[in-house]
Amino acid sequence: MPPSREAMVHRGDEDEVCPVCKSSRYLNPDMRFLINPECYHKMCESCVDRIFSSGPANCPVAGCHKTLRKNRFRKQTFEDIHVEREVDIRRRVMTVLNRREEEFDSKLDWDNFLEQREEIIFNLVNGIDVAKTEADLQKYASDNMRSIRANQALEAKEVTSFQERQNQEQELARLRRQAAKEEYENERKEILAGREDVLTRLASGRPADAATIAREGQRVLLKKSSARRSEEERIRLKQAALRGTDAKKPGQPAAAAEEGGSGLIKGLRKIKTPEPEKAYDPFGGMVPNQRDYYTLQDHYPSTFLDPVRQDTRMLAGGYDLREYYSRTLLEAFAGLGCFIDEEVSKREGNAFNTMKPVGTQGAALAATSDSQAGK
Amino acid sequence: MAFSPLVAPSPLATAPLKKSAVSGPANPVQENESFPQLQGGADREITEQLNDEVRHKYIKAKKLGEGTYAVVFLGHLRTDPSSFVAIKKIKVNTEYKDGLSMDAIREVKYLQELSHPNIIALHDVFSSKDQNLNLVLEYLPRGDLEMLIKDSNIHYGLPDIKAWMGMLIRGVWFCHENFVLHRDIKPNNLLIASDGEVKLADFGLARSFADPYLNMTHQVITRWYRPPELLYGARQYSGAVDIWSVAMVFAELLLRVPFVAGNSDLDQITRICEAFGTPTEDNWPGVSKLPNYIPADASHLVPVQGRDFFLRQFPTAGPVGAELLMSMCTLDPRKRSTAYQALRHNWWASEPRPTNKEDLPRKAGGTKKMGDDLTRRGGELDDQFKNAARQLDFSAMKA
Repeated sequence: MPPSREAMVHRGDEDEVCPVCKSSRYLNPDMRFLINPECYHKMCESCVDRIFSSGPANCPVAGCHKTLRKNRFRKQTFEDIHVEREVDIRRRVMTVLNRREEEFDSKLDWDNFLEQREEIIFNLVNGIDVAKTEADLQKYASDNMRSIRANQALEAKEVTSFQERQNQEQELARLRRQAAKEEYENERKEILAGREDVLTRLASGRPADAATIAREGQRVLLKKSSARRSEEERIRLKQAALRGTDAKKPGQPAAAAEEGGSGLIKGLRKIKTPEPEKAYDPFGGMVPNQRDYYTLQDHYPSTFLDPVRQDTRMLAGGYDLREYYSRTLLEAFAGLGCFIDEEVSKREGNAFNTMKPVGTQGAALAATSDSQAGK
Repeated sequence: MAFSPLVAPSPLATAPLKKSAVSGPANPVQENESFPQLQGGADREITEQLNDEVRHKYIKAKKLGEGTYAVVFLGHLRTDPSSFVAIKKIKVNTEYKDGLSMDAIREVKYLQELSHPNIIALHDVFSSKDQNLNLVLEYLPRGDLEMLIKDSNIHYGLPDIKAWMGMLIRGVWFCHENFVLHRDIKPNNLLIASDGEVKLADFGLARSFADPYLNMTHQVITRWYRPPELLYGARQYSGAVDIWSVAMVFAELLLRVPFVAGNSDLDQITRICEAFGTPTEDNWPGVSKLPNYIPADASHLVPVQGRDFFLRQFPTAGPVGAELLMSMCTLDPRKRSTAYQALRHNWWASEPRPTNKEDLPRKAGGTKKMGDDLTRRGGELDDQFKNAARQLDFSAMKA
């Protein structure tokens, strides 16, 4: 087993000295060193407690004027402080520039993006053009808040599902091992039992049967183990199928660049915003109460209709004279809206449709011949 | 408003079929077109030739259902085996020896006038060799609303109900705009097309309305869906009768059982009074003048139910939906909303949005159901209700 990281850190550091309080591990074997990702100056735990417990303060290292906070202090992961710093920067940049390959138009664009990201990290690590790079990153982060969040969520989901899958696989492997072990046990027991059975039969039977009994015993054993093997195979297949369905496909990537594009990253796939659903039209596209040639009134004087107006029995049944008005007027004016010439020319425009309604065509043709006769 | 059947969007735009060929001679071009054939077989009448032409357009395949009134076959166009139709063959009726049965005439008369996505399309009519009338109807393979209501394995919610109701009321509105009363709206006359569209079918009891001084029969509409004015024997009525039926279908969709299911006409009135309130001269002026009005027992007066009742009874509908339902089952037909008013209601704009028709719950086995639905005589209840409800008496029916 390789030595733990703790041991690695401590090895050879026997006389490590805190640059702030100058106490060494030799005097204080429990001493732990902490760093702050603001400036990466190393100091011991007691110094951190001492200096920063009462709120943010300046770094005690001479020449460093960074303001540090206690809650940002942590243990060093890598021995080399430069590696530690680069890893931190990389992590920060990666959480902002967390585009996924699916979001790019082509492989080339994706590769370009990866290169761009590396360059940004390189610049930040080596202090090249830091202000501008930081500003770019900041702007990108605020412009693309939504997609960054969405991609983070996706990533988290993938990680959990991966873990789940692993756990599942481990569990399955454990079960398989257990089953194999049990089976081996069973087989062994059965062989013993079979042997004993053969022995007793041999002991009680006639000497002439000995050979047949021995052969039989052999065959029974073989049959059993082959049956078990096929059963086992079946179970394995079933489990494999289960695993197959469990392996969920990673979710769709979040919508790419927000409106106006990200500016920083090129080649992002255009988001196809689904067309907004039209408002529900209760009339199904028809225009109600479209009366081109008349307006309907609530009352038309008519002596013929007067008795109806007085007949409570008719009115109580729901009979409504307005329906009668509306119907008579509709019937009187209905034909006026139909321009047969127009309809015919429209239909001839669609002449490729061979299965057109014959009846209406017939009526139309009849009407045109009428109009010709009229001329 | 003029909705010409020519202009209305045709649901079968992909396979337009010959429309309304029942009256061949009225159609001059058909004569012209078939003129050369006429010379070929001059011994036959032109109407016969036209009829044959239509008949040969379709191929009858298997039988989908058979009832007392009609047999329904699955058929398809001879030229295109993938364009299915339902062919409803009306049986020569013993009651109408010398002519066609009234239901068939009504069905043809009104269906060929109406072309709307929510009304079953009548493609053609022809007579077969044994002089039977055959209606070529749109093929609606996904059963009816009753099937969905009854199947407890099917779960549907308010958005689905809203979508169905929208389609139903649109169909009824279109009928009323064209002055046709359906007079038999109930869940098993609301068939479902393959794309989920609900279509009003069975126009066997339909008639035009609004003619003054013309008596209409009150013995229409299946009892559970019959409005109080018809139960009281009104002879002049309006589109409000259909709206009552629509409201009952709405209630049934919400509750998944018929809301007021009386087992006789009298029982139906009693149940309506109990549920919605007793009709009186106050809430329904003139009700006592209706021919079959039964004065309510003064000690048993139920006040007209308000919003609270509907909200309590139909919590799934939500406050706006309950209000729409209430407006559609007002006792006084003059105060009941019309189909137009119902469609203008703000329930359609309120949340949740109606389900898209493609995503509505569906059920297999609708083909058989369509066969059963189309063979039923108007106003009849299904077999499973036979014990619960008396058959309607059609001897009193005059159109």
